[in-house]
Parts: sequence; structure tokens; C-alpha cells
Amino acid sequence: MGQISLKGIKKSFGAVDVLKGIDLEVGDGELVVFVGPSGCGKSTLLRMIAGLDQPTAGTIAINGTDVTPRSAADRGLAMVFQSYALYPHMSVRQNMAFGLQNTRMARAEIDARIADAARLLEIEPLLERRPGQLSGGQRQRVAIGRAIVRRPTAFLLDEPLSNLDAELRVSMRAELSALHARLGATMVHVTHDQVEAMTMADRIVVLRAGRIEQVDTPLNLYNRPANLFVAGFIGAPGMNMFGATMARGVARLEGGPEIDLGGLPLPPSGAVTLGIRPQHLLLSEGVEADLTAKVDLIEALGSETVVHATLNEGAKLLAVLPGQPALARGDVVGFDVDPAMVHAFGADGVRLAGF
Amino acid sequence: MSRVSAFLFRRRGGKGWHWTDVVTFGWLFFGVIVMFGPALWLIMSSFKSPAQLAEFPPTALPYESRTVVVEGYDKPLPLFIVTDEAGTRTLAEVRRVGTTAQMVDPANSGEIQRVNIANRVPDRQVGFAWDNYVQPFLAFDFMLYLKNSVFVTVVATLITLLTNSMAAFALSKYEFRGRNAVMLTVLATLMIPLSVILVPLYSIISAVGLFNSLWGVILPTVATPTGIFLLRQYMLTIPDELLEAARMDHASEWQIYWRIVLPLTAPALAVLGIFSVVWRWNDFLWPLIVLSRKEVYTLQVGLNTYAGELNVQWHFILAMTVVTMIPVVIVFLFLQRFITTGIAGSGLK
Amino acid sequence: MPASMPMWPRPWLPPAETEGIVAQLKQMAGAVVTAPLGWAARAIDPPLRLWQRLTGTGGMAAFFLLPNMAIFGVFVLLPLVINFAYSMTTGGALFLSDREYVGAAQYAQLLDCDDYTDPSTCAQDQFWTALANTALFVVLQVSLLIVTATITALILNRELRARSFWRAVFFFPVLLSPVVVGLIWRWILQRDGLLNAMIIPMGLDPVNWLIERNWAFAAAIGVTIWAHLGFYALILLAGLQAIPKDLYEAAEMDGTKPGRVFWRITLPLLMPNLLVVIVLALIRAVQVFDEAFVLTGGGPGTATLFLTQYIYEVGFASLLKNPGLAAAASILMGAVLVVLTLIQLAISRRNEKKGKLK
Repeated sequence: MGQISLKGIKKSFGAVDVLKGIDLEVGDGELVVFVGPSGCGKSTLLRMIAGLDQPTAGTIAINGTDVTPRSAADRGLAMVFQSYALYPHMSVRQNMAFGLQNTRMARAEIDARIADAARLLEIEPLLERRPGQLSGGQRQRVAIGRAIVRRPTAFLLDEPLSNLDAELRVSMRAELSALHARLGATMVHVTHDQVEAMTMADRIVVLRAGRIEQVDTPLNLYNRPANLFVAGFIGAPGMNMFGATMARGVARLEGGPEIDLGGLPLPPSGAVTLGIRPQHLLLSEGVEADLTAKVDLIEALGSETVVHATLNEGAKLLAVLPGQPALARGDVVGFDVDPAMVHAFGADGVRLAGF
Repeated sequence: MSRVSAFLFRRRGGKGWHWTDVVTFGWLFFGVIVMFGPALWLIMSSFKSPAQLAEFPPTALPYESRTVVVEGYDKPLPLFIVTDEAGTRTLAEVRRVGTTAQMVDPANSGEIQRVNIANRVPDRQVGFAWDNYVQPFLAFDFMLYLKNSVFVTVVATLITLLTNSMAAFALSKYEFRGRNAVMLTVLATLMIPLSVILVPLYSIISAVGLFNSLWGVILPTVATPTGIFLLRQYMLTIPDELLEAARMDHASEWQIYWRIVLPLTAPALAVLGIFSVVWRWNDFLWPLIVLSRKEVYTLQVGLNTYAGELNVQWHFILAMTVVTMIPVVIVFLFLQRFITTGIAGSGLK
Repeated sequence: MPASMPMWPRPWLPPAETEGIVAQLKQMAGAVVTAPLGWAARAIDPPLRLWQRLTGTGGMAAFFLLPNMAIFGVFVLLPLVINFAYSMTTGGALFLSDREYVGAAQYAQLLDCDDYTDPSTCAQDQFWTALANTALFVVLQVSLLIVTATITALILNRELRARSFWRAVFFFPVLLSPVVVGLIWRWILQRDGLLNAMIIPMGLDPVNWLIERNWAFAAAIGVTIWAHLGFYALILLAGLQAIPKDLYEAAEMDGTKPGRVFWRITLPLLMPNLLVVIVLALIRAVQVFDEAFVLTGGGPGTATLFLTQYIYEVGFASLLKNPGLAAAASILMGAVLVVLTLIQLAISRRNEKKGKLK
């Protein structure tokens, strides 16, 4: 069992409010990712779950028991730190044994658990080495191993992949997901990398400035972002945003072009923000394109092509086109918009009802 | 020799001899003579017999008179090289009367020859008066002083390391009310050397019954602000995440200190330990005040007392000065680079 | 100073060939030392866990601070307070309750002089002699010490082979005990000593170095410089090595003469270290005692009587002990030291700030 529930968590450092009321339920066996820009409070939240920081207000319960007043040691959780925090003066084996010895576990049991974890993580040949003699990826595994041997109620991972190089990060990401599937344990993972969040999470918690913006599965976040912030944060490259005015089912973008959004449940009039993902812009075949833009820059990636362009009205536009279309800088091209792929947000930035 | 000088003189850059090069090597060789010379002279002198020490001008090396056992005489007789009208020969002295010495030929012991003492020089060989080193331990209390010094040094250093590291841990890894006040107090006491509080400290030591006790020497010296600063500065470089990881690992705060922070502070502890050993071994003024009975003297106080006696027995004092110097020289030889980088990094002494 | 200590340098490691022996020794020492220590550390863990549970981390901080602060309070802070009480009471008694309150009378007595240029007209002529001697000593010793230490550091900073050997040469006396230093030089400077033996062949008359007033004073200066030169040279050397090499290369490209390089580049950039070293040397020189005491015992007469020795004599050594007077004198000396230390802290703090800006 590893169910965590947060109620009304607030945290202030002096006059600065870092968290402004967080309510969240993490189910047993779930892999939840906290994501958000730096300074959003995601690491602070994780540290409070761990017991390393105390909330200013609110309660933290694990499996229904209020653990708010308990110290970090007594919550039965394990944490993997951003810097791994391996004890540099102990061997890998001692690093993994340290926490178990502190609970006065029998020696044979300790050895068995270390052997299990080492086999699982394929670090058996490294057991007698010191952390200083390991590569970044190996240290990462040891840090995870140290958490695994504890058999914790839940794993807390604080940006565990951010110190790895790009290639290693991708493979460790996959390994962590596989490990989660295998252990079936609750994991709370903090990252600022939305790709990491999308690929690993059962559910993503998007945080900004101390508040939860949205909690949902990765695809729901992508397909139905609850507000402008989530829409801009999830998905790469970022979503194109256009200010527009509605009139009789037709959206008039600032400066001229009109897109017929007939049939969509949009308000008959008023100001909205339209969001279109770069992947959802299609190169127009016909003469009548929804949007006409002049190409500024082309990034050909082979499988797809990223086009930076400027609308006639001066707004910037980004399109990701499949394949290798024959385009050159300075070309004027037309883009079609599939109304079904358009996101619309009200003046307050919240997704319009009915979408 | 030329290879040694070629090694020492080779400069990394430049070709000809600039005047600054001349100054450089002039200063360096002057330095070798002035810095090493006195200690070397001390060591050589410490092996000389009292008679040799009284000689002026002194010889560089210690000598001892050659002696010979001559038939018919109980004690070995000193040998002299006699040069007069009868030629040069080696004779043994039986006794001396005024300016005339009665001497015998060791090979022909029956015949006494009378020789003017101006016509002879002692027959000597390089020899070491080890007795200078043996006697103080047997006949005087030096063994006791040595024991006291070792006790003071070891105990004071251990207490210093333990208490300073504990305080440094609290001051570097905890947020608590009054931390700045404590830091400020520690900082302020940097300004109060022992010499300023001699009188009241003496009365406190007496009041708690530590006068003439080695603990009276040890305790006032162990709470060094320098040690706290050095260790705290080092502990600040230990990432807090390590401590948090240990807390997650169910470690108590004491275990965090003892099993995580202390081992990681080992380099700084080593530096403080070395310095503490040197400081406590060399302490003089405070032991001089607290210790007034010979049984509790440390080496430094004992040495000074002997050197202050009316009839200064230099042959013993020089030898014991060398003995007092030995531990520090050993520390220096083995840990020289460790110490010098330590000073350069911290300005600690 | 420690307060401004940068990241700790890499510790020195023994050469590879000794590693095996060192490891073995370590293991043996480790077993002997850590076994009982580890046992003790484990034994006190359970009560400490309980304490931690009861008082939280604040209580633990107090626990860790307690031993040091208790010793500190009893043997440093308390004496400091009592010192003032002593300085305002008189008599030979040790306990304050048995002493007679006299207010500032003892300070007045110390400072009472008919003619301040002549110590013999003062009520406490020894104090003024010691004060005058100390002042002269501080000025001469510190200036000579700083000049020689700077020259040594500059020379050690050149591109020398075997630099660590030369550095060791100058550093070696720093670790010697003051008693050893005093005795070594007493032996050399005595009437039939090595120095006289060396100057007679040069056609000079032998000098009774430690018996003639001026020579004894000079000897005190020379010997203390000999003993401490290496320490200050080492700090200055570290400062010199922190000056970027490319500055010198740029100056060389411009064809700058060595003298000009020293005055325009080295000295200004060394100034922060130099200031710290000067104040440190001042603080030490004001308290001069050990080496001089062993060397000359304050003599001949009072020619090398310095303040600390005065305090020692008045408070402890003389037949008519006067702890009150000694306390008053030590407070006056302490005041000077506090001012000097504050200057030093201000300089190090400024240096630290400058360092951060870079």
C-alpha cells in the first residue's frame, strides 16, 4: 500500500509563499510526476512529503494516517536525490546497507536485500566500489538501489535524471518506467522536463507559482489543457497562440485573417485566445488558405520539418510538417487549420467550456 | 655535486644570468644557512662532552679523547700527541702538575716522561657523547616530563577534535535561534588571547582545584575558536542532501554527525589535529603558570627550568632540546606539504 | 584567517610506493582506535535518539554545542568578566570576596607618570619600561619581518626548481617550540658561542650578545623574525600565486622592467594579503613573550622586558604578587589587541567581498 494524500498544504519562507494550498491524492502504485518551471514549488512539495520540510499549514497522510508531525525517518518513504547524495566514504554496499542497519535489521536480511536490488539494477560488480569510482549512470542506479532495499511505502524522486547526459537520460527514463512497472510501487517524481513527465507518468501534476494548474493523464493534458499555461507548457515545440475576436462562429485573428470555426461550441462573440499546436498546421494545397505566412527559417530534421514563419500581420508562427516539404526561406505559404484541433481559451486564460 | 647544483640552479625560463637570479640564489643559500644552521649546530653540540662544550673556538664535530688502558694503572688514560725535540709520538697522561704533564708510552709503561703541556695536543676522534641523552632520563625527571607532555598533547588534541567538530557541526548544519549569537561569541574570542586573561584564568583553575594538574593545562586550550572556524568552513562544503539522505535512511542526528559528517571532514580534522599537536606540544606560558611542582612539568617548562638554573648544564640541556624538537621535526618531515597548504588555505597557526 | 578561508585545498597524499604500508598502518590504527570509539558512539546513540525525540533538532544543536561552549564559557568568557573585577580590586587574595574594591585606582597607578618620555618617573616604572620596549619591538620587528617575508615570498614565487624544498627551508623553524628556539639561540649567542667564533676570524671583536642592552634587544627581534618568517612568507606566497600569470605575460609583452612590474602589478594585487599579514604580525608582536623570555629572561636589567612578561612577573612570578595590577595591565593590552583584531576582520571581510565580486 502506498497511498498519499495532501490536504491544503501551504508553505511560506518568511514573507514568501512558496505553496498556496495544494490538495492532491496519489493512488497506490501510481507514478505521479510533478512538473513545472523552476520556482513553482514542486521540489518543496516533494520535500514536505518526505518530511524534510514542514508545511506551514495543511496535512499529509500516508495510507490514511496523518504523518505531518512525523520526522522523515518515520514515514517509511525513500528518496532519490538530484545529486544522488551517495555517501562518498562508503562503498556501494555500505551505502545500501546504511539505512537498513539503522533500523537494526538482521545482517542476513540486509545482505539478501542488497543482492536482490543489485541483481535487479545490474550493479553487482560495483558493490565494493566507492561512489567516486562510478559513472553518472552507475551512481544513479546505486541511488535507486539504496531506495529499493528499504522497501518503502513510496519512492520520491527529485529530478533524478537531470544530472545525466541526453542519451543516458533517455535510457534511464525507460528503465525507471520499467522498474515502476515491475515493483508496482507508488512513485512521486519531480522534473522540470515535460518530455520526461509525458513519457513516464501515470498522471502529471502541473504546478505554477505554488498552485496546481492541472492534474491529469499525459494525453489528457496534451489534448485538453485546462488553461493557457498548461497548453503552453506541455508539448514541444510550444503551442501557437493567437488573440482573436469571435463573430458569428468566425474567429477573426488580430490583424485580419479569419478562420471559420463553425460547428464548434464557441461563444457567439467576445475575445478569445486560440491555440494551435505546430503539428496541427497543415500545408495548404489550394489557393484559399486559412493562414498565409512568410517563411523565416527552416529546420529540417529529416522525419519532420520545423518551419518558423511570420503571418502577414506580424505574428510569429511555428509549424511542424511531416516529411521534407520543398520550402525555402522567403517563400510565402498557406496553412490550413483543422477546427477540431483548435484549443480556445477565454479572456481569463481558462479553457472554454464545452471544449 | 655538480648534478645537484645543476638541478637546483636550473631555471625554467630565461637563458643568461639576470641580477634577479643572483639575488634569488643568494637569498636562498643565505636562508639555508641561517634557517637550518642553528638547528644543525644544536644537534652537533648536543653530542659534545662538557669539556668540549667549554672549548673556544668550538669544533664543528663532536670529538672524544682517545684513551688507552696502560699496565699498572686502574683507569684508562687519555692519549696526547706530543711534538718536541725528541720527535712526534703518542703518549698517555698519568697526571698533570702545573705546566708539566707526566706521561707514559703505552707500549712501555715503566718509564714516566715529563712533557710541557704546550708541546702536546689531545689525540681525538669523532665521537658522540651519548651520555648527554641517557643521563637526563636516568638521573633527572625527563622521562616524567616527556610522559606529561605526551599526555597533554594527546588528550588535548582528542578533546579539541571532538568538541570543536561537534560545535562546528551544529553551527554549519542546523538553523536555530541564537546561532548568530554563538558565532559572534566565538568570533569575539579570537580577540582574546590567553595572555590577556592569565590572572582570572589562574584563579578559576585554582578554584576548581586544577592547579598543578595537567587537566588545568589542557582544558583552557581545547575550545579553540580557530578550530571551530576551520571545521565549520569545511563542513559547509558538505552538501545538505547527504544529511537529508541519511535522515531518510532512519539515521539519528548523532549518527549523521558520527557516521556521515565526521568521516567526510577527515582532511580538515587532520589539519586541525596536526596543528593541535604542535600547539600543545609547544605550549609554554600557560603550563609555566599552572604547573609549579616538578612532577607535573611538561617538557617545555622542565627544559626552561633547567636552563634557568645557576649552574647551567648545557650538555644535558642541548640534548634534551633536541629530544623536545624531535616530534615536531618528524611531523614536519612527513606532513610538510599538508601543513603548508593548510596554512596557505586558512592562515591558521 | 579562518573566516575567509576558501574551499579547502586538496589534501596531500603520500606517494604511491608507501601506500601499501600506509594502508596497513591505517588498518591497524583503525582497529585500535575506532573499535572503542565506535563502541562508545553506538552506546550513546539510544539515549540521544530519545533526546532528539523529546527536543527536536533544536535540542540536538544544543547538545552538539554544549561541550565546547561549556569549556569556552568557564575558561574564556568567565575569566574575561572576572578580569575586569580583578583590575578594580586589590590585594594578594585569589577570591574576589576577599579582595578590596579600589575602582580605577590601579589603572591610575599604571598610568601615573611625571614625565611620559621617561619611564623612571612613573609610579609603575616597570610597566612603562615594558610598554616602551614593546612599542619599539613591535615597530622594528614587524617592519623587518614583513620586508623579509615579502622578499622571501617573491623569491619563492619565481620559477624555481625544487620550490617545495626551499619553502620548507624557510618554514621549518615555524613549528619549533619557543623554548627550543630560545635555547638554540641562547647557545649560539652566548659569549663562547658560535657567532663569536665566526666573527673573530673576520677581525671583529667578540660581543656579549645577550648581556649588552642593545644587542640583546636586537637579538630578541632577530630571533622572533627567524622563528616566524616562514609563516608569513607562506601566506604571502599563496597571495602571489593567486595573481594571474597572464598579467605578468602582458607586462613582459609591453617590455616592463622588473622593478616596475613589482610596484605596479605585484604590490597592488598583493596588498590585501599584505594588510592581513601586517595586522597578524602586529597582534603577535604585541604579545611577545616566549622566545624572548627564554632567550634573555627580560634582561639585561629590563632591556628586553615586554608587556606579557610584565603581567607574568607582577601576577605570578614576583614575591609581591599583585593580581589586580596585572589584570589592569592585561586589560590595557587586550584593548590594543581588540582594536587590531577588528581591523584585521574588517580587512578580511573586505577582501572576501572583493573576491566574490570577481
